[in-house]
Amino acid sequence: MKILIAIKQAIALDEDFEIRADGRDIEEDFFLPDLNEWDEYSLEEAMLIKERHADTPVEVVCVTIAPDSADEALRKCLAKGADRAIRVWDESMEGSDPVAIARALAAVAKKEAPDLFFAGVQSSDHAHGATGIAVAGFLGWAHSAVVARLDYTPGAKEVVLKRELEGGLSQELRLPCPAVLTIQLGINKPRYASLRGMKLAAAKPIETLAPGDIGLATNDCGESGSLARVRRMYVPEKQRAQILAGDVAAQAKALAAIIREATGS
Amino acid sequence: MARDPKYDILFTPVQIGPKTLRNRFYQVPHCIGAGSDKPGFQAAHRSIKAEGGWAGINTEYCSIHPESDDTHRLSARIWDKGDVHNLRAMTDHIHQFGALAGVEMWYGGAHAPCMESRATPRGPSQYASEFETLTYCREMDLSDIAMVQQYYVDAALRSRDAGFDIVYVYGAHSYLPLQFLSPYYNKRTDGYGGSFKNRARFWIETLEQVRAAVGNDCAIATRFAVDTLYGPGSVEVEEDGMRFVELADPLVDLWDVDVGDIAEWGEDAGPSRFYLQGHQVPWTRYIKQVAKKPVLGVGRYTDPEKMTEIVTKGYADIIGAARPSIADPFLPKKVEEGRVDDIRVCIGCNVCISRWEIGGPPMICTQNATAGEEYRRGWHPERFPKKGSEDSVLIVGAGPSGSECARVLMERGYTVHLYDTAEKIGGHLNSVVTLPGLGEWGYHRDYRETQIGKLVKKNKQSQVALGQKPMTAEAALTYGAEKIVIATGSSWNTDGTNCLTHDPIPGADASQPDQLTPEQVFSGKKPIGKRVVILNADTYFMAPSLAEKLASEGHEVTIVSGVHLANYMHFTLEYPNMMRRLHELHVEELGDHFCSKIEKGRLEIYNIWGDGSRRTYRGPGVFPRDANKTHRWLEFDSLILVTGRHSDDSLHRELNARQSEWEANGVKAVYLIGDAEAPRLIADATFTGHRVAREIEEANAQFPKAYKREVAIWGNPHSPGVNPEIEYES
Ligand SMILES: Cc1cc2nc3c(=O)[nH]c(=O)nc-3n(C[C@H](O)[C@H](O)[C@H](O)COP(=O)(O)O)c2cc1C
Ligand code: SF4
Repeated sequence: MKILIAIKQAIALDEDFEIRADGRDIEEDFFLPDLNEWDEYSLEEAMLIKERHADTPVEVVCVTIAPDSADEALRKCLAKGADRAIRVWDESMEGSDPVAIARALAAVAKKEAPDLFFAGVQSSDHAHGATGIAVAGFLGWAHSAVVARLDYTPGAKEVVLKRELEGGLSQELRLPCPAVLTIQLGINKPRYASLRGMKLAAAKPIETLAPGDIGLATNDCGESGSLARVRRMYVPEKQRAQILAGDVAAQAKALAAIIREATGS
Repeated sequence: MARDPKYDILFTPVQIGPKTLRNRFYQVPHCIGAGSDKPGFQAAHRSIKAEGGWAGINTEYCSIHPESDDTHRLSARIWDKGDVHNLRAMTDHIHQFGALAGVEMWYGGAHAPCMESRATPRGPSQYASEFETLTYCREMDLSDIAMVQQYYVDAALRSRDAGFDIVYVYGAHSYLPLQFLSPYYNKRTDGYGGSFKNRARFWIETLEQVRAAVGNDCAIATRFAVDTLYGPGSVEVEEDGMRFVELADPLVDLWDVDVGDIAEWGEDAGPSRFYLQGHQVPWTRYIKQVAKKPVLGVGRYTDPEKMTEIVTKGYADIIGAARPSIADPFLPKKVEEGRVDDIRVCIGCNVCISRWEIGGPPMICTQNATAGEEYRRGWHPERFPKKGSEDSVLIVGAGPSGSECARVLMERGYTVHLYDTAEKIGGHLNSVVTLPGLGEWGYHRDYRETQIGKLVKKNKQSQVALGQKPMTAEAALTYGAEKIVIATGSSWNTDGTNCLTHDPIPGADASQPDQLTPEQVFSGKKPIGKRVVILNADTYFMAPSLAEKLASEGHEVTIVSGVHLANYMHFTLEYPNMMRRLHELHVEELGDHFCSKIEKGRLEIYNIWGDGSRRTYRGPGVFPRDANKTHRWLEFDSLILVTGRHSDDSLHRELNARQSEWEANGVKAVYLIGDAEAPRLIADATFTGHRVAREIEEANAQFPKAYKREVAIWGNPHSPGVNPEIEYES
């Protein structure tokens, strides 16, 4: 039984940063890279399945579509107990949008043929929230987003889960396997890697693949394989905010005055 | 990063007489336990602050003559050439970093017991010191006055020779000049007593003479308690306080003003338990209205925001700091470099002060483990030697000791995993900060949390694992660390074991519904009844703090104490207001009483001096005194056991028992630090964590390396021309 997990080396920023000269991203010097927070949870969920059912062997495989700077994130997963790590990249993949990334992930999934495919609900940097479900689209598998509880016995033909909906509602679902699930924060308590885990992970290989190895053509990848591209990244201008004092009547009067001023009426 | 321009004003220079302070950060006089006898300690502790950006740095109070000898406490002294030689080390090292060095010339009157010199202190009138209650001074006549004033002049000349830039006439904390000014001490009817002018005369004349002697070379400062906080009958700021500043202003180059006296000098060095940053402003702000010379004030100023406000609002020109400079000698530099969040904020616990009050062992600081260790251990507060090996370290326990150990190891470049069951760094401190008035003690945790957070980002191999399952010996052994540091802390005894009987108390059992340990009080899970008895055998803050907490919550609290309740709080200057607080809350104290047994709802107490005063040998198996017959029952709804603590060291014991498995698991060493080694002050727990982190490459880092000692060396005279051999008068 196999679980494939899509992971991402996400980027955090300090208070001070600069935008790249071409205006399309942040200057790399200011990147504080780390494993995407959501991915900590999907990895943990996979590890729990692996550990809870010791009699059925479960292989946990992590995959990322990224240059070698993301090896650190993969090693973190290996240190926490993932069995294998795969990284797919070449220069043609530069500029991929979530759909192009999903196309590549789906190609890996076809090759690996997992019973479950996990992705985070979203990534903490770009927050598209699209990749996981797009993978399901390419594969045509059953899928569910924002999974907050999961019941699965390795080898079973279906998975039972609870997913979060708007307004505090939850939905319980039963999906056939293979299935694509995007995993929500708080579904479990992610573990930390031990020093032993880190040392072992440092010695484990990372399988590196080029798009061709997974059957992708050049125009499936990068900007040519994407419908979206980043035109400009900028810090929005500060908007004016004002707290209206006084009781409701006074506030309403003040608000009316502001509207009148803004609309020139 | 550059400093925030809103703090620019703190970095503008100030002229004081012939000297210039490069900025507004100024270390006011404070003791460290070095004096003139440990010149290396003195020079290193003060010059570290010069390096850290302070503009002016002072000695502690510095005795001008053997007639002002504070032994058993430790002052500096500038009595002779030997002292000049030793203090020169301090001024030289301060000057290397471009700061000014000041000396606080001190004559104590009856507050100085002269236990070493056996001289007789002189004062304005004869009085018994309210601080050193067995010491009386002799009233000065006019020739005495002239003689003592000459002491100041001679000491000022020696100070100049020692390289000091600022020379103080010290009249705060009720020392001699203030004794003349205050009618509380001064009962004279001659030209030095009675009217304000007469009472001010001694101080004014002394300033004139000192100024005439060294005023061209040195800035003349005076330290003045502008309000002694006694109300009428002593010095009040809007009366004699302002009047004196107006009168003496032409004679001084710098006003260093504070409040209070010596017997309760916690009103000046206000503990955070009772006083906020800037607590003296309501009094000291009046001084700028009459002073034309620069004014500096104190008030545990740790926050540049507040400091800026003090200067811009015109309450003071210069920010004086004792404790903030101890907790972070690099405070000004950190503001200058825009690293305000790196400031190690003084928590206001006054443990630094406790050492002086105890009688002068080297000062320690809860926040800054390097304070006092600069010279003898070579510890720089901001620089750390690079790691000496590739060993990775697992630290179990993120309390004061474990988190300090982690911080320092990470600073040194080691890969560290800091592991705790709690969700937050801080250990037992996270409970202590919920006690009344102790919120600011949380800065100890906050500093380490912030620093470790930054360091973990620099080394991805390092990790802080919180909210974890308790670490087992098996998990620790197989964790993959070459070195394991156990910092699992301590707990309060559940069975009444205490320092008096060294045994459990029959019936003491915190698993009973009506008995609680302090931890159980913190957790809030056990209901606490109306009538609370606190059984105490601990001499620090836990019993009085719990009493304050519970009494404020409406319980009727009685403390049964077999030891001097809150004794250590005398040394931290928290005692007077703590007692006032307990009194306000109607907490009953049964002192000199302890407990022989406990039953449901009642404990049997006895007077600890109730056994016979005559000691007789009565043969084996028989107590050599008459039996104690003072036992009686006291009822309670809830009983809180503050009888003693024990180390939570079972993990360490288990690991030691499995030493044969260490090598196979790659474990080279296991260390025990903090309360897990022995329950102790937070300052000492922090120190042990810091020390092991610095010395981890040693063959056995569990035990401290030798430090450099500064002691008199046989055969060498302290002052030139003195024969060091034994010689008797014939
Ligand atoms: C450890 C310690 C020792 C002190 N010793 C002296 C002293 O020798 N002379 C003196 O004038 N004040 C002494 N003080 C008082 C300080 O100068 C200062 O007035 C007081 O601590 C308030 O300032 P702070 O809030 O910045 O600590 C001492 C303070 C501390 C903390
Ligand atoms: S011992 Fe406490 S009061 Fe003194 S400087 Fe350190 S933190 Fe501040």
